Amino acid sequence: MSIKTAGEIRSGNAIIMGTEPAMVIKTQYNKSGRNAAVVKLRVKNLLTDRVSESILRADDKIEQIVLEKKPCTYSYFSEPFHVFVDSDFNQYEIDAESLADLEKFFCPDMTDVCEVTFFEGKPISVVLPQTIIREVEYTEPAVRGDTSGKVMKAAILKGSKHELQVSAFVEIGDKIEIDTVSGEFKRRCT
Amino acid sequence: MARCDIFCTVVDNLGDIGVCWRLARQLAEEYGFRVRLWVDDLVSLSCLCPGASVDATSQQIGAVEVRRWDAEFPLVDVADVVIEAFACDPPATYIAEMARRDVPPVWINLEYLSAEDWVEGCHLLPSTGSGTRLTKYFFFPGFTPQTGGLIREHGLTDARKAFDAVARAEFLRRLGIQSGKNELLVSLFCYRNLSLPGLLGHWSSSETPIRVLTLAGLPTEQVGQWLGGSLSPGAEVRRGSLTVNALPFIPQEDFDRMLWSCDLNFVRGEDSFVRAQLARQPFVWQIYTQTEQTHLVKLEAFLARFLKGFPQANSVRRFWDAWNKELDVVPAWREFAAVLPEVRSRCEEWANLLDRVPDLANNLARFVERTMGSACSRGSTDASGECR
Repeated sequence: MSIKTAGEIRSGNAIIMGTEPAMVIKTQYNKSGRNAAVVKLRVKNLLTDRVSESILRADDKIEQIVLEKKPCTYSYFSEPFHVFVDSDFNQYEIDAESLADLEKFFCPDMTDVCEVTFFEGKPISVVLPQTIIREVEYTEPAVRGDTSGKVMKAAILKGSKHELQVSAFVEIGDKIEIDTVSGEFKRRCT
Repeated sequence: MARCDIFCTVVDNLGDIGVCWRLARQLAEEYGFRVRLWVDDLVSLSCLCPGASVDATSQQIGAVEVRRWDAEFPLVDVADVVIEAFACDPPATYIAEMARRDVPPVWINLEYLSAEDWVEGCHLLPSTGSGTRLTKYFFFPGFTPQTGGLIREHGLTDARKAFDAVARAEFLRRLGIQSGKNELLVSLFCYRNLSLPGLLGHWSSSETPIRVLTLAGLPTEQVGQWLGGSLSPGAEVRRGSLTVNALPFIPQEDFDRMLWSCDLNFVRGEDSFVRAQLARQPFVWQIYTQTEQTHLVKLEAFLARFLKGFPQANSVRRFWDAWNKELDVVPAWREFAAVLPEVRSRCEEWANLLDRVPDLANNLARFVERTMGSACSRGSTDASGECR
């Protein structure tokens, strides 16, 4: 942890706002009156994921933090936590509420290497790989005649039971690539 | 009745205390706040408020309790609303007490006035430093409804409109000024300005008689130097077409009347700049100089709003520019003086636009009400239902 002035804070820095960690998304520096300056910040609270705007005097002292990150794999769900495990078999519990956007991709047998972020030893967030592969558990048969890939239909993923739109040619048992940022189907694996 | 502490440090000149004193009175008189004004320089306050004692630890002036802000700060009850003027930082012991309250006070940093666009995006943003549970809100005065507005007392516009020729003559007589019918009456309230001697010289040989009312402090000092001596308050000196009247420090109400009385007002900084706009008379603004010429950006931001769609904009812009850059202003003055009637109409229009923007104290009181309401619902209340 180091102390910086607000004027030195840049996008991508992690800082303590109040008593909670936050990631700086955007900064805007403006000269105020009598040679003072203010910095407008757009920040994401790392505990709640809430994005908000804030303002500081450029000479305000701010704690900058370096967040620890570890590669982990998903292990299991134990109400109300998702449990991840690192290469030394240490287990980390993260409450399901903070992973609401990602839960749809979790399944017990997944092998994707995720990045778990820690604040003061406590795991606070998970980033999935940009692309993951999942098996289609159920989808309606394709309608004959259209093979362009532009016609979409619903499919349910194995394990998570998450439903998403896939190309019409995708069939039950197919493995598909999914973009975890957009949540969209990318392509069928060959 | 909510209690409000306003903290003011006087850095230089009279702008800080001018804004704080005006706001303190309005919050107390019009919005029912129990206002305590902490100021570290009572001499400055006494310039604007002749009845103020310059050494009293505590004094009641009208509806406002004025407290001397000494290095050793006394143990006092924290107010419900804390306003720090221009990021002056309340005492550390006071901030510690704020943090100890079950429901922290509504803490506001009253920022500087600027016409720049970014102000709208920063007005009322919360500010939470590292390791504290206190939140301070940045309150930006401004010229649009998306900002905190300008200090404008209830009834000011009506009082201005009621100030007719008879009232003007009576007011000037009270100041000891016998203004001639064809004189251009000018008030001068400026910082040190290298353009001033040249302008005074030009005025002294002007075809039109010009009477300049110099305000106490730097304006009178500079005019006195140009005259080759010093000017005492109340003195009247003539040089050719130019007559100079040195005014003593006058209360804020009289300052307004003086602005209303003059054909042209030279103002500076923030408080007099705002009052000149509300006076509906032509004015020239000397902005507070900043490093890296930042003040010129702010000056242009105001001019862009003020002169939007005004056909004679260039004549105004050239004179203001020369005055603020302390250049030879005489050529620009000739051009500016020629369009004064049009500038006057523009100032009327501008004041009408400002009248439609809610005033600063009103915006501040509404924000406090909203914030205190949500703080009470989050925190605890006592038996009477008051926020604790």
